[in-house]
Amino acid sequence: MKLSLAIAIGKAMGWLSRITKRGSGVMVTGRIILKLVPTAVSELSRNRKIVLISGTNGKSTTTSLIYHALATKSAVASNFTGANLFAGITAALGQNRSASVAALEVDEMVMPWAIEETKPRLIVLLNLGRDQLDRLSEVRMVALKWKQSLALLPSYCAVFADADDPFVTWAARDCVNVIWFTAGAIGHIDASTCPECGVILNWSADKSTYSCECGFRKPNPEWILRGSELSGPNNQQINVRSAIPGAAALGNAARAIVVAKTFGIDISAASDAIAKVSSVDGRFGKLKIGQTNFRLMLSKNPASWRETLTTSASGPKAVALVVNANAQDGKDTSWLWDVDFTPLAGRTVVATGERRLDLSARLTVNNIAHRIAVDEKDAAKILGAQEADLIASYTAFHRLAKKADR
Amino acid sequence: MTLTLVHLLPELLGTYGDRGNVEIASWRLRQRGIAHEVINVGANDRIPVSADLYFLGGGEDDAQIAAREILERDGAVRKIINNGGHIFAVCAGFQILGASFPASQNRTMIGLGILPIETLAGAQRSVGEILLKPTIDIATLSGFENHAGQTRFLDEAQPLGAVIHGVGNGLEAGADGIITDQVLATYMHGPAFARNPELADWFLSRKIGVLEKLDAPIFQQLHDERVASVK
Ligand SMILES: [Zn+2]
Repeated sequence: MKLSLAIAIGKAMGWLSRITKRGSGVMVTGRIILKLVPTAVSELSRNRKIVLISGTNGKSTTTSLIYHALATKSAVASNFTGANLFAGITAALGQNRSASVAALEVDEMVMPWAIEETKPRLIVLLNLGRDQLDRLSEVRMVALKWKQSLALLPSYCAVFADADDPFVTWAARDCVNVIWFTAGAIGHIDASTCPECGVILNWSADKSTYSCECGFRKPNPEWILRGSELSGPNNQQINVRSAIPGAAALGNAARAIVVAKTFGIDISAASDAIAKVSSVDGRFGKLKIGQTNFRLMLSKNPASWRETLTTSASGPKAVALVVNANAQDGKDTSWLWDVDFTPLAGRTVVATGERRLDLSARLTVNNIAHRIAVDEKDAAKILGAQEADLIASYTAFHRLAKKADR
Repeated sequence: MTLTLVHLLPELLGTYGDRGNVEIASWRLRQRGIAHEVINVGANDRIPVSADLYFLGGGEDDAQIAAREILERDGAVRKIINNGGHIFAVCAGFQILGASFPASQNRTMIGLGILPIETLAGAQRSVGEILLKPTIDIATLSGFENHAGQTRFLDEAQPLGAVIHGVGNGLEAGADGIITDQVLATYMHGPAFARNPELADWFLSRKIGVLEKLDAPIFQQLHDERVASVK
């Protein structure tokens, strides 16, 4: 079947799914296109400049920032609303066929396929950490999949990789064309052994670098982010601005600037566009429940909870935490015990979500005074008329984000 | 006398929130005003061999092998046992204490030989909620398991519990974990002590005798909710 016909059918079915309120329609569109033309992604990628973005945390935000930076020059196809599996990628490429550029968020496990099909010019690798322990059991296994796939890259494809993360370094270090980045992250909760040889990895006392007796070590980065100052290989000094709060967001804004530069975009135009993005797919969106004005934040795994708790610490005094354990959240809640909730001390804390008792037990042992609410409405009753952060795990976040002001 | 709790190699064996069990044990002692200290032993630290209670958690392949090598040095774990220490071991930590355990590429690693068990590579991972009828006098046990290995006894031994739901040791044993004079081990990982406050107190009692009841309803509520969620 001809690709354009498949896309037309896919879009029609997606529209039908949307108006019958079965879903956003994106997945349906993508699935149908792929079903009718299995080579659709490869065909839709031809003659386009494509950047793929993957990693455990920060995919959607980084993709969105890259999209806005690239869009200052030309039309861009993108899927930064988080549909990052086969169908979502297909739909994004099919929706906007005239765009000569595409910025695609890709699930970690889908990377080998996406690389093979889209033949990207640039691959952005953010980080690899544990996420949904009951499904992805070994971080190193994911890193190995990346490594095998990246080893086959042609030299015209550059890899822009985070040198702070030993798993990313290991996956990317054999690539011909790799650009290293550091934002000065300290340590890695899952990298106690060397990904290359398995013996204990030596971390420097300040946890800023790592090395192993086998020769595996942190590479020297070309791009370095210190605070909000980004310095590049040719003495570039760029002040990074972000309307999204937190150190992670600043790191992602810096990455987007480097990607923009690689794609030949004017840096100041890209920086301005990046600095205007204040919310991605509901993250940091506003939602009023009862009398409480919530700011929505997403936390998916120990690394992202740490990040979010730090960002939230400079926010309002009140905070509601929502923990679920559905398939998309990960059914195993033991990660709660790997998160130090101390940044919440002294704040007004409400624990809710389907696994509020697990959360409450954790907070109790962490000496964080809190109350338990059955749901966010109940939490709002407890909190009353004030500003509050609402930090939610995956399924709760996406349910609430649909109602939020972006 | 101050009680000493030792978390062995948390960076290597701590994948599933295992530090939680140490924190919970410490918290339960503190609530009762029982003086104690907690020591985290890293890969380059000397292992104290005359402490009271030891915790050994779960971990991935390479970490498990690295941990085995460290724990084997100077016969540290044997000394701990000889000195009267008690060990709570979970998942990879449970396997390490046996005669052998499996690793990637079909390797079989020699264990520390403390427990009369051997662990074989399972055909598929056992992942999910687990429920046990304990062989000791405490309430039904609730946990989450996530392991590829399956463990069998090489000698007559007492399991921690009979499996009501889930897999546990596997190999058709219908049981989970083991209880010996000085070791309590299980495949219930991470916050096993959070869900099972009676198990936490039972482990602490092994060293310090009868404990007064603790008024901390959240743990009882969590236990009951988890048990009910499976039935
Ligand atoms: Zn090495």
